Amino acid sequence: MKMKTFLLKCIQFICFTAVCYTAGLIIWERYFPDSFTPNINYKIGSYGHMNSRIKEIPDYPEVDVLILGSSHAYRGFDPRIFAQYGLNVFNLGSSAQTPIQTKVLLRRYLEELNPELVIYEVYPGTFSSDGVESALDILANDDNDILSIQMSFKINNIKVYNTLIYALFNDIFALERDFIEDKIKGSDTYIEGGFVENALAYNKNATDQKPSDWNLKQDQLSAFEDILSTLNENGIEVVLIQAPITSNRYNAYLNNAEIDQYFRGLGHYFNFNEMMNLSDHDHFYDSHHLNQNGVELFNQEVLTTLDVNGLLDFDK
Amino acid sequence: MLFNSTDFLIFLPAVFLVYWFIVNKSLKLQNLFIAIASYVFYGWWDWRFLSLIGISTIVDYSVGRGLAKARTPKIRKLLLLTSIFVNLGFLGFFKYFNFFVDSFVSAFSALGVTLNSPSLSLILPVGISFYTFQTLSYTIDVYRRKLDPTTDIVAFAAYVGFFPQLVAGPIERAINLLPQFQKTRKFNYSESVNGLQQILWGMFKKIVIADRCAEIANLVFSHPSRYTGSALIFGVILFSFQIYGDFSGYSDIAIGTARLFGFNLMKNFAFPYFSRDIAEFWRRWHISLTTWFRDYLYIPLGGSRVGVRKKIRNIFIVFLTSGFWHGASWSFVIWGAIHAIYYLPLQIFDRHRKNIQIVAKARLFPSFLEVINMLGTFTLVAFGWIFFRAENIDHAASFIKHMISRSIFSIPNLPIRELLITLGLLVLFLILEWLGRENEYAIETLFVKQPRIFRWGFYAGLIFLIGMFMQTKETPFIYFQF
Repeated sequence: MKMKTFLLKCIQFICFTAVCYTAGLIIWERYFPDSFTPNINYKIGSYGHMNSRIKEIPDYPEVDVLILGSSHAYRGFDPRIFAQYGLNVFNLGSSAQTPIQTKVLLRRYLEELNPELVIYEVYPGTFSSDGVESALDILANDDNDILSIQMSFKINNIKVYNTLIYALFNDIFALERDFIEDKIKGSDTYIEGGFVENALAYNKNATDQKPSDWNLKQDQLSAFEDILSTLNENGIEVVLIQAPITSNRYNAYLNNAEIDQYFRGLGHYFNFNEMMNLSDHDHFYDSHHLNQNGVELFNQEVLTTLDVNGLLDFDK
Repeated sequence: MLFNSTDFLIFLPAVFLVYWFIVNKSLKLQNLFIAIASYVFYGWWDWRFLSLIGISTIVDYSVGRGLAKARTPKIRKLLLLTSIFVNLGFLGFFKYFNFFVDSFVSAFSALGVTLNSPSLSLILPVGISFYTFQTLSYTIDVYRRKLDPTTDIVAFAAYVGFFPQLVAGPIERAINLLPQFQKTRKFNYSESVNGLQQILWGMFKKIVIADRCAEIANLVFSHPSRYTGSALIFGVILFSFQIYGDFSGYSDIAIGTARLFGFNLMKNFAFPYFSRDIAEFWRRWHISLTTWFRDYLYIPLGGSRVGVRKKIRNIFIVFLTSGFWHGASWSFVIWGAIHAIYYLPLQIFDRHRKNIQIVAKARLFPSFLEVINMLGTFTLVAFGWIFFRAENIDHAASFIKHMISRSIFSIPNLPIRELLITLGLLVLFLILEWLGRENEYAIETLFVKQPRIFRWGFYAGLIFLIGMFMQTKETPFIYFQF
């Protein structure tokens, strides 16, 4: 009897705490300065224009090419250059997007975008990441559903859980329904089709990177393999691409050959760090991202490579 | 498995439900289940080291049985020495092998002789110092005829491996804990509620206080030369609360968890930073280890019932051993020596039992003198922590050199936002600790006379603070390394 009371009280307390926690969290996030809310990070219209990108998806039914990946993707593949070749492209990259988030986005939008070809930008750093940064971006800028909850459990991080609660509250009461993201933010300009163009600048930081290895995480690899299976089941061709980063950064990683071997074993794979000879200063604006000069060279090279390999031979 | 992990959040309710609903019909089955659950808990970290616990269990059980049958004092002594040799052998090998080899090589190097160091890359089995001392207490007490040897190996295995306190204590005495495994346990509602409250308070101490303080303490201890003296002072203060929150938090979770299963573990901390002198501090800090050394080392050496010279010797032996128990490094030995020096005058002038009762008992505020005494004791203790936290003696010396400099009067060059949040949480923590200082743990009786909504609201508030300020990665407990 006492045990029954104990368990009942425990359940009551959990419910009571859940209500108090949610209420406290909402008040805390809305009324306290960011510096006092280290474990909630709800940034609608955040760095990377994810909000604009998501809202644009309905305008892109049936694309030729869908691009997935991290900021290397949404800052590296310019739909305007692809359009010159008659290709309708949508770039669904997002900041630090890891396979766990890519899987969520694909499950939400693959049917709607229905691409002929997927270019999946596979930066090994995202496979080594816990996926928190990208999860927060998606929770704040996309509508949340059961996939958001599953993703949060997968990442299992208090910041993600708190942000999820806050995001669900916002979604339920449509508090951010009228939010419109600025197309121009600082030196970034959002270009239709999901691309973000940075005002032309040159990479100045050439400090030596510490040599290290990529350590790909098992949960990211599992999500990645699920993505490839999904695309395969839908009869969609996939090309894995490593977009260029500065040679200074790239060469600091000691197991690039091992990474290449892994990706090559999964299908069409091109590592443009090895295929192009770009200047760390002239073609990048920081150690991760190409400037517009670099983007143009890179995209031309990608299109040529795809063409030569017969990967653009599809009818739409 | 860490207490502050999601694994434990699933493990604990699962074990609780099986324990009270499925294996509750038989004591033997319950003990067996505890032993298995404890091995799973420990094996979660590294299953290979389960063999060490297994060997300790079998050896000490057999020694106990042997002691019961032994006819002559010589055989009894031999059996006791076997237990000591095996347990301290494991501890010595895994924890101190490299230390002794390196010290030996350094000593020869100082004499101009170069030796090759055969250091081994050994992994220190988590909690080895704790369960070694716990099993030793069994054989020593049986040897001293204070305890009858058990004939139930399952109960003994459960006692040695009892998961709540296996890896960081409290170091239980066989005389207290083992009999609890030998009698039927019934679910007790109020004990279980009390246990949950203590777990919550332990989690708050670890996750909110210790881990927050660690942010800044780690910063200044990693590069003391980059910080002003005042920042280093903050670093020392925050490390003092980090280690208290971390270790006493662990103990609270352990004691609370044990309560859920019908066990009473000994108190391990009793508001040590409210101590008015060092002797009182040592009666309130890591009580299970202090009393272990008192009963199995200090008293056998003659304790305080000897001449002044021997008294001094005994105090130094106990504190130096205690320092060395914490870690295989000279900085821990220095830490022990500092505390011996602090303690000596009180012992010699027979002032060490002056402050037995908790400070300001039955009063809300302490007297001015009590405040001065508490601050003075805290300062001494905090200074000692520099050696405890430093990587080696040179690091500690460098830290002290940079701390005691002109910049001690400047504005601390620390991340202000972090510092303000941490100090705000510390103030809240100290108020709660002060209000609850006459209890087993601070929040034990807080709001008990108020309607449930207030009490639950308070607990929910603590959970909220945990959720808002916890680290986003699991952080292990400091004492796991000892």
